[in-house]
Parts: sequence; C-alpha cells; structure tokens
Amino acid sequence: MIDHIPQRSDLTQRYLYSHDIASPPIISKFFKLADVVMQPENEDDVLRILLYAKEKKIPLIARGSATSGYGGAVPYKGGIVVDFSRMDHFEVDEERKILIAEPGAVWWDIERKLNKLGLSLRVYPTSAPSSTVGGWIGQNGYGVGSLAFGSIAENVEKIRVANFEGIVETRDLRFYAGLHGTTGFVVKAWIKVKDYEDLNAYAFHVDVEEAIKIAYARKHYSALYLTRRYLEMKNMVSGNEIPEKDTLVIVTAEKLDGDEELGEEIWNDRFYPLRIRRAGPGVVAAEVLIDAEKLKAYLNSVEGFGAGTEVWFLKNSLCSVLSFMPVDERDGRSVFKYTFSLKALKEAKKLGGRVYSTGLYFSKESKSFYENFDELLRFKKSIDPENLLNPGKVFPSGSLPIIMGFLEVLS
Amino acid sequence: MRIDNELIKNEVFICAQCHYCRVCPAYSVIKWESTSPRGRVYLLKGILKGEIDAEITAVEDFYKCTTCGACEVVCQTSIPLIDLWERARAEFVEKGKAPLPVHKKLKDYAEKNGNPYGEKREERAKWAENFALSESAELLYFAGCTASYRMKELAVNSVEFLRKAKMDFGYAGVDELCCGSPFLRTGQREIAYEFFRKNYEIWDRMGVEKILTSCAGCYRTIKRDYKEIGKELGMDWDFEVIHISQLMWSLVKSGEVELEEFGEQVTYHDPCHLGRHMNVYDEPRKVLESMNARIVEMESNRENALCCGAGGGLKSQFKDLSMEIGKRRIEEALNTGARYLISCCPFCKLHLKQASGGRIEVVDLIEIVNKHAKV
Repeated sequence: MIDHIPQRSDLTQRYLYSHDIASPPIISKFFKLADVVMQPENEDDVLRILLYAKEKKIPLIARGSATSGYGGAVPYKGGIVVDFSRMDHFEVDEERKILIAEPGAVWWDIERKLNKLGLSLRVYPTSAPSSTVGGWIGQNGYGVGSLAFGSIAENVEKIRVANFEGIVETRDLRFYAGLHGTTGFVVKAWIKVKDYEDLNAYAFHVDVEEAIKIAYARKHYSALYLTRRYLEMKNMVSGNEIPEKDTLVIVTAEKLDGDEELGEEIWNDRFYPLRIRRAGPGVVAAEVLIDAEKLKAYLNSVEGFGAGTEVWFLKNSLCSVLSFMPVDERDGRSVFKYTFSLKALKEAKKLGGRVYSTGLYFSKESKSFYENFDELLRFKKSIDPENLLNPGKVFPSGSLPIIMGFLEVLS
Repeated sequence: MRIDNELIKNEVFICAQCHYCRVCPAYSVIKWESTSPRGRVYLLKGILKGEIDAEITAVEDFYKCTTCGACEVVCQTSIPLIDLWERARAEFVEKGKAPLPVHKKLKDYAEKNGNPYGEKREERAKWAENFALSESAELLYFAGCTASYRMKELAVNSVEFLRKAKMDFGYAGVDELCCGSPFLRTGQREIAYEFFRKNYEIWDRMGVEKILTSCAGCYRTIKRDYKEIGKELGMDWDFEVIHISQLMWSLVKSGEVELEEFGEQVTYHDPCHLGRHMNVYDEPRKVLESMNARIVEMESNRENALCCGAGGGLKSQFKDLSMEIGKRRIEEALNTGARYLISCCPFCKLHLKQASGGRIEVVDLIEIVNKHAKV
C-alpha cells in the first residue's frame, strides 16, 4: 500500500479503530469498519497518505485519542483511519509562551512539562489525561479554563494543516477548527500558554442562579457546577460522601470564602465524569451549549428526565452543559433511553441553545451551528470535491442526518 | 468464542473507553490499540456481543501485557483490570486459543520439574547446601524459582540475614515447588492449583504458620492468589504471609537489627507485584532511609511506577518488547543520577540488570541490608 508507514489491516485492528466513546444502539450496526489504520510519523507521511487516498478515492478519517462521542473519528463509510498517536512531539517557546505541538501530543503530558517550566495551559479538556491537541482543535472544544480563555481555537496562534492541496500555515482557524478534519489535518499547532499560578478551588452550595452570579462576578479561571442528582450518582458508584446538594466550584487565584476542602476534592475529580458508567453499566449523555440566563430552565427540564448534570461556565455567559443518565447497554429494552440525547437537545434549542459539537451524529445541526456554514461548504467543495476528508461529518450527507432528524422529532 | 467468566461479562460494559490507560508500558512501546488496555476491553466486549472473534493476532496482542496494573490505577471506572486480564487469558486457554507457545513450554517444564526454568528438581536447594537449614519451623522461608535457580545470591543473602537476626526458620528444600505465579498470569490456572495443593500439603506437614518470601511475585501469589484458591477449594487458609522487605523494616524499627550507614544516592524500583498488586510501598523506602541512603525517586514511582517489563509472561514470550520496557525504566533510573537501582524482587533485578547494560548498579534490597546488618 504505502511503504514505511506503520499500518495494520487485520480485522481486530479495523474493529478497534472504528468507534469512539459513544455506543449508539442500532444505527452503529450499519457503520462500516475502517479498511486500514495508518499511523503517520511525520508530516511527509501525512502528505503521502493524502496523495494515496486522493488517487484511490478512499475516505480518510483523522483520529486523535477518540475520546469524544460525536462520531468524528468513526469511519462509518470505511476508509483509512489516520491515527496520529505517533506524531506526539511538542516543544515550548518559553520566551513567547507558545506551545508548538504535533496533533498526537496529549494535553496532560504537555501540562506536566509546562508546569516544570513555570508555565501552564490556558485551557485543556476534561479528558486531558488522554486526549490530543489535534482532536480537541478538530472539535474546537471547551473545558478547564474556558471561563477565562474561551474555546481552544481562541487560544491557538496558528496551525499548520495538510490537505489535498498540500500544506497551509494559517492564523485563520475558521476553516479548520471544529470541523473534525473535514477540511484538512492539523499537523502542527502553535498554542498560547500562560504563567503557572497557584489556583485554589472553593465549593459553594448554591442554586443555579446564585452560581451564575458568583461565577461571573469576578475574573475567575474556571467554574464548574454539579447538580444534586449528579453527585448522588457519583457517590453511589465511588462510595464517596460528597454532600448531595447542588454545588458550585470556583477555581481562582483569589481567596474566597467557600469550602476549600470540598472544592479541592471535587476539582481533583474533574477528569472523571464517566465514573458513573458503573451505575448502568453505561450512560447516555446529552451535551449542549446554552446561554447562562436560560440555564435554570434547561436544567429543570433535563432533571425531569432523571439526569445528573455538570455545567462548565464559559466566557461570554455561555455554558457547556453535560447531562448523564445511567443505562444498561446490555439490555435491549434500554434502547429508547438513548433518545435522551435528542430530547435534551430539543429542550435546549427551544431555549436558544445548541448542540455542543456536530461530528457525525449531529451534522444535521451544522447549518445553525456554524455561523459561516455556506462559506465552509464552498471551501469544502473547493479543496475536497470528492468528499474524502472525513465524509459524513459536519457536512451532512447520506441518510444519517435524516434519520437523526426523524428521531429528534419522535423523541 | 464464548466467554463464560462473570467478572468479564460485568466489567467490560463499564469501560468508558477514555484511554487514560494509555499509561500501559506495552502500549506505550507498540502504539496499537490491540495492545492497549481499552482495546483489549473493547475486544472482549465485542466477543461478548458476537461482533468479533479472537483472532490469533488478537490473542497474541492480548498477551503483550505485563499485568503490571498501571491501567488499574488510572481507570476512570475502577475496573479490576489485573484480575480481568488474568481471567480473560484463562478463558483463551479454556477455549483453545492459548497458551502461547513459550508459555506452554514453561508449563511443560513445570509439570516435569516443579519450576518453569526447565531446571532439575533435585538442584532446587543447591544454593542452601552450606546452610544446614531446618525442615520444620513455624516460619518458612520460601525462596521461589528465580532465586533458587537464577538469582541465588538473593536466597543466600536472605538466609544470612535471617541468621544474623537470629530468626528461627525452616526451608522446604527440594520439596519447595513453584508458587504458580507464571501460570496464573498466563491463564494456565490448572497447574497453579496443583502447585497450591502440593505446597500446602508440605507446609502443613512442616507445621508452618508463617511464610516469608524474598520474591515479590511469590508474595503476591501466596498472599493473595492462594487465599482465593483456598477459598475456592474449600480449604482452610490461615497462613500469615510476609515479604522480606516488611520483615526487614519491622526488625529495624524494633531495634532487633541494626544497620550500618549506607550513605549512597539510590533510587528504588517498586516491583508491580509488591507495590500496585499488594500496596507495599513504604517499608523498602523506610529501610533505606534508616541507613541514611539518599533516595531520589524516579519520574514514575509508587503506584505509578513503570514496570520493569518482565512480568505477566512477557519476558518469556516477547523478549524484545520486554527489554524495550526495561530500558525505559533504566533511563528513568539514570535520570535520577543515583548510583544504585534497588528493587525487592529477583525477577525485577534479573531483568533490569540485563536491560541496564551495566550503566547502573542493580541490586536487591536484601543484598544491601544483609551486607550492612550488624552481627
């Protein structure tokens, strides 16, 4: 196929590289497996893979650590999964406070190195122990630090992208960030970092309205709100005894009068939202972005379904809201519980909210999700006329968007 | 392939596929999902769902794991992964997909000679010829196969130390049999049960109440696995099991043994079977501290320590991978600037010494302590 690039096409590997963290019932049965998995070791390898795919008209699916659940890394039409785990080099320009990272570099590896240099990431995902630079830029995600610094794209100085037209280096991320590798593969990113500072976490037992006031009252680094139901679920599976009350955690360099011990306990667990899978076994999740002033109404509706929720307060009064319902995925009757994701989205949309990301499952939302969708579509067609770069993601195609739309109506 | 084990059936559906288990030393080298803990769990789940079968390459990759337990420490959903790997391997063996060729050979050797090295049974106690050890006592010294045949200096140092400490102890000599650890780790449980029965019978006959091991693998097996096996077989299990590092610390702490100063810069490698598997982290460090050794920790240590690369049947079946992991551990040790890399397990010492290429002095704690114990 292509010499000297690590690759495997045995059934086991194809199976293992054809999913992400979501387990959607029924529809995933119709997905194809990857035809082959390739692991480029450098930019030249990526260009050779692109050339080969273009010549053979084979879909290419970029994969970081596959720790998202939107299907962005799922090769549902088959093709070559391009796993960037071997391109994980990174370095730091200490003077300019710029991280220069390959796409497979893992956020927490980076943070540990930065801390040794007296620096720190501005933002990182709550899956930082395993998720990658390329994957998070591909999703343009929010996470820890997004209250102060916004999404990852807002903190990227420039990126180097490989696609069918060769290599592009650009400071304009609009045509790449959050597009799940449908317009090219990030092969290097220059990311702004900050000075390391000692941060403290404080917990407050407050209702959601009070939480919003506290979170946005001053310039804090991060703010996380956990509902009583969510804490009940976490306690149940972990044996912890966190007070089962709606709880706000503020992470800041300031001194506040909240409960520091509890704040630290919850904060130290920030990478572990999926512990509650043990309650199912399994969970169905719903993730939306909603304006802070509509948060109370939204939480009331999802709590009504029995879901537990964690809210990350973001810049500009936006909230990232992740709700979970335990589900036993071994039980065929539980299939209807998966409509919770769609029910929650429907509620969010009524309140002016939107889905957190598009990927494969929510490509039907793209027109409203991306402000410049028409422009993006024209760009996509110009650089990838055969639709080989992660087909079916972001830009709706095939029957899946119709099925998802139908299911949303039914839900 | 059908999977019958209940632990597997229940736990694999709990996995979040978060990949925090990418810390796996084998995956870190190989970089293919089939060798990552989450990949192996997903494969088991796929087998249970009837979506895929265990191909020969998948089974081979499944065994590219030292069962070190680094994955279990970071698991987001607290899956007992060490047990899961061992039970899955047992399923592969039961269903005719395993053992792998070298593991099978080790079992054949063990069936014949009572050790997996293919060494003669009658030579097991050769290291003890000059000691005239008692064949009965409440306290039994269990040397294990590696110290008996490959790292005899550890058995010799252990016995010398026990004598200096004026301990009354016995040794089963050629009656001692492999504890069964290599077979429990590689899914060949039957022979491990046989060794359990035979060792138990001998200990019972000798009037043993307490078992002392200088091998971390034997310690884990006799203290943890034998207890489970005994329960499973409906046999009484009331032996107290201790590792020699625990005994050393207890004797030093109580003042029964005094140690000369050892003011060297050292780093300590936590054997997986002693640390992560059995939660013994402090005693070896306390012994070193009591001698004024200057301990510099490696980048990964205690529950996050990098495995030496030898365990779980990896060294025997996949030498290159095992050696690559060992070399990474040696690099961590060299980065500390320590003169000595100290461990508490003959298997770790053997492997790290080979991986070190002579760049750092690899020793077992018992060697240092015996040398510095005041008579």
